[in-house]
Amino acid sequence: MPLRGATCGFCGLLCDDLEVEVDGAALRVVRGACARSEAALAALGAVVDPVPRIAGKPASLDAALAATVEVLRAARRPVIGGLDVDVAGMRSVLALARRIGAVVDHAGGSIKYRNLHVLQEFGGITTTFAEARNRADLVLLVGDGWWRRFPRFVERILAPNGTERRIVTLSALDPATRLTLPKDADVLALDAPLTGMPAVCSMLNALVEERPVKPARLAGVTPQALQRCAEWLRAAQYGVIVWSAADLDWPHAELTVQAIARLVRTLNGTTRFAALPLAGSDADLTANAVQTWQSGVPLPASYANRSVDFDPNRYALRNVLARGEADALLWVSSLSGAAPPPVPGMPCVVLTRADVELDTAANVQIPVATPGIDAAGHLLRGDKVITLRLPRLREGGPPAVSTVLDLLLARLG
Amino acid sequence: MLTRLSGARIVDPAHGTQQDVRDLYVRDGRMVDRPRDGERIDRTWDAAGTIVMAGAIDLHTHIGGGKVNIARGLLPELGRQHSLAATDVCGACTIGPAPSTLATGYRYAAMGYTACFEPAMLPVNARQAHMEMGDTPIVDKGAYAMLGNDDFLLRLLADGANRAEIRDYVAWTLHATQAIGIKVVNAGGISAFKFNQRSLDVDEAHVHYGITPRTILRELARAVHDLGVPHPLHVHSSNLGVPGNVDSTLATIDAAEGLPIHLTHLQFHSYGTEGDRKFSSAAARIAEKVNASPNVSVDVGQILFGQTVTASGDSMLQCRNSRHGRPPKWVVMDIECDAGCGVVPFRYRDRDFVNALQWAIGLELFLMIRDPWRVFLTTDHPNGGPFTSYPHLIKLLMDRSFRNGVLASINPEAAAMSALGSLEREYSLHEIAIMTRAAPARILGLEDQGHLGPGAAANIVVYEPHPDPEVMFATPRWVFKDGELVAERGEVKTVICGAIHTVKPDFDRGIERKLKGWFEQHHTQSLSSFKIDDEEVCECGRAPRLAVHACRARTA
Repeated sequence: MPLRGATCGFCGLLCDDLEVEVDGAALRVVRGACARSEAALAALGAVVDPVPRIAGKPASLDAALAATVEVLRAARRPVIGGLDVDVAGMRSVLALARRIGAVVDHAGGSIKYRNLHVLQEFGGITTTFAEARNRADLVLLVGDGWWRRFPRFVERILAPNGTERRIVTLSALDPATRLTLPKDADVLALDAPLTGMPAVCSMLNALVEERPVKPARLAGVTPQALQRCAEWLRAAQYGVIVWSAADLDWPHAELTVQAIARLVRTLNGTTRFAALPLAGSDADLTANAVQTWQSGVPLPASYANRSVDFDPNRYALRNVLARGEADALLWVSSLSGAAPPPVPGMPCVVLTRADVELDTAANVQIPVATPGIDAAGHLLRGDKVITLRLPRLREGGPPAVSTVLDLLLARLG
Repeated sequence: MLTRLSGARIVDPAHGTQQDVRDLYVRDGRMVDRPRDGERIDRTWDAAGTIVMAGAIDLHTHIGGGKVNIARGLLPELGRQHSLAATDVCGACTIGPAPSTLATGYRYAAMGYTACFEPAMLPVNARQAHMEMGDTPIVDKGAYAMLGNDDFLLRLLADGANRAEIRDYVAWTLHATQAIGIKVVNAGGISAFKFNQRSLDVDEAHVHYGITPRTILRELARAVHDLGVPHPLHVHSSNLGVPGNVDSTLATIDAAEGLPIHLTHLQFHSYGTEGDRKFSSAAARIAEKVNASPNVSVDVGQILFGQTVTASGDSMLQCRNSRHGRPPKWVVMDIECDAGCGVVPFRYRDRDFVNALQWAIGLELFLMIRDPWRVFLTTDHPNGGPFTSYPHLIKLLMDRSFRNGVLASINPEAAAMSALGSLEREYSLHEIAIMTRAAPARILGLEDQGHLGPGAAANIVVYEPHPDPEVMFATPRWVFKDGELVAERGEVKTVICGAIHTVKPDFDRGIERKLKGWFEQHHTQSLSSFKIDDEEVCECGRAPRLAVHACRARTA
């Protein structure tokens, strides 16, 4: 069975050390596996010859494109969502958005904006994977879902090397996660519930700034543990605070992100500290980066009226749909396997991963290649600096997003 | 296809000082000296009464790579204030201090620029830099890879590696990142900042590696020279923006030990500590040294008043200078055992003492450095101001009475401390053509750019003479790129994709064995993921052509 080197695009870590056994369509990770890559490859490996559909019925690509052109020509306020696509796919999405005057937003836009909002109001001091891996003598972990969202983070970033690291877990972790932490690390577990994150982060700010506070028991954490944590933070030579914005799922979670950013900035007054927000899954950073460099403003954005505009509330996909401000949805998704939100009565064209079956038939569904599986593609890694090329793993399979959209653009004229 | 441009006055310093009126001929995108016998002229452009120069070249402009994109994301309000509507050929985008890549290409081309060079490409960020440059339409592009703060090189130097090994690593980096030159930013300082060192002078030791910036500068300048890379080591000196940094700038020149170096955004490195405020111009001392050092070339990094954003690899100094930023939000990053970056918005004000003096210092440098072949017109876009202000800057250089009028309106204390008012020099058109065309082409090794002789790329800019040089340079009548009309009177007519310029010096690939081990031990990607081959860079960079320029190795 042929073994192929692979780069995995199913979370923002973009591990490039995988070996995958390719047996016809079937795919099996034999090195560098994790729960996310195994699940995705199993699903994609089970699909044989996906075909486009019009109103649920199999059709040729040619007919599907013609039907899509009809939908888009009739639309006056189209919206393009999903956007878990590679760089080439996003370049084509934006060319199309300009052509049809669409609003564009990533499926995870509101999650991403928890971090982006703080960047735009405050800024930040951040670091990257290799810096954290080689230099960090203290890592503070916020939230409880990063381990499932970024399954090999511990193995690839936290655990290697002989660096003596202190680890602080701010949030309660399930026992399985705790077991994965480096065995020789000196761990301080605060174990606060997620609802306690805003209070705990604020108190840590007060403590490292040496404000006159007397920590009481806060979100289940003892005053002694809070003091100890602040002491550890101040004693670090190179500290890193890690979180995944998806874990911070409560109203105004950006205030917690801002408290973290402030903590990092304060600590940098005397020692070195940096934030490492884990992101990049479902190509959220890729989509936003291409949009930002091509147009000068981030997502979500509108290309209506022959100009581009950014507004995190006005152009958020769910808000646009909720307010009835769209009259056609184009959903473009090649990595996550996510289906579009239900849009009853609205014309809907769906480009999806080959294995996706829709509950309700869209007007048009076109299967597209997943980057790193059926097509080569570039994705931006979760630390926002490195872009990797994901080579193609197997022959055949559906066309790339950029191929489909470029054909569509040619037909739109 | 043969095209004639007739009746223009030709300013082409690469071929002498004469500015005669003659016809130019273009065949298939290249300059030719005359038609073949009996050859039909397909089209004639009547350029009578105009002034023609080759396409301009910006050798230091931050057009690609993560930090400009961070600046865009940090300051969406600037983008929203400067929206550019779509036209029949241009896509909707935004301009302003951190312009979109689309607007960057459109505006550069409309101003008569046909090649732009990104000066600070982090090797680990090279793919994104090439992608952003690929989405910068019309102009040709190239980039300098940043070295001198990467742990691999610092480890080599600390271990006393031999010069051949350093040379091989430098060459390998040029190949792997598809670069045309090497830049060093605050030699060793970005790395030292990761170990909580907050400043690093030229002869101060890096707290972890124990080596000094002087060693790094000397060894990199030597490697670039020995490999025969045309562009000398591109140096962002130590102590950017720090009063009194004139001493470290002079020490940086000495560190090259006579080998060619290019000092970039020199204005930010020409500060003294005289006066009540302990901030003064040291332009005269610097200019004297540059005039006496034929191995040194510079670009100025002029500041211009208004809102901009500074984006630099120099995390150490950007963190230190962040308290001066407006609006008060900023980003600093440590990057991947490779480098760093810092993005700090700035609002330069003409009534502010420091800003006003910075403005004057830049102009003093332009006017005191005598040889226009060794001083280049830059604002370090966007750090001193956006590139769109170049026509204004040219007017400041060409028109003394205009310059003195502005001088009279700035902070009077700063004006009084500057020698600017006494400097009578006015740049000629010929000198402007040198510093924006002929000289950058020569120092980058671009044989077919920056001139209008036979064999050159047909990058031609047709200006209508005007008493106000700012008007003349802002909107040329026609801009031709590779023979094609791309802009007319400030309006983009055709959107094409430019080439990528690189160098590929010979080297011993044995260095990869050591690098492979280093990557496996320290990095979070493999060596093979890191490298960008020719096919990939053209795909990322949407380049129709990879222009590989010759290197003439200077060692056995």
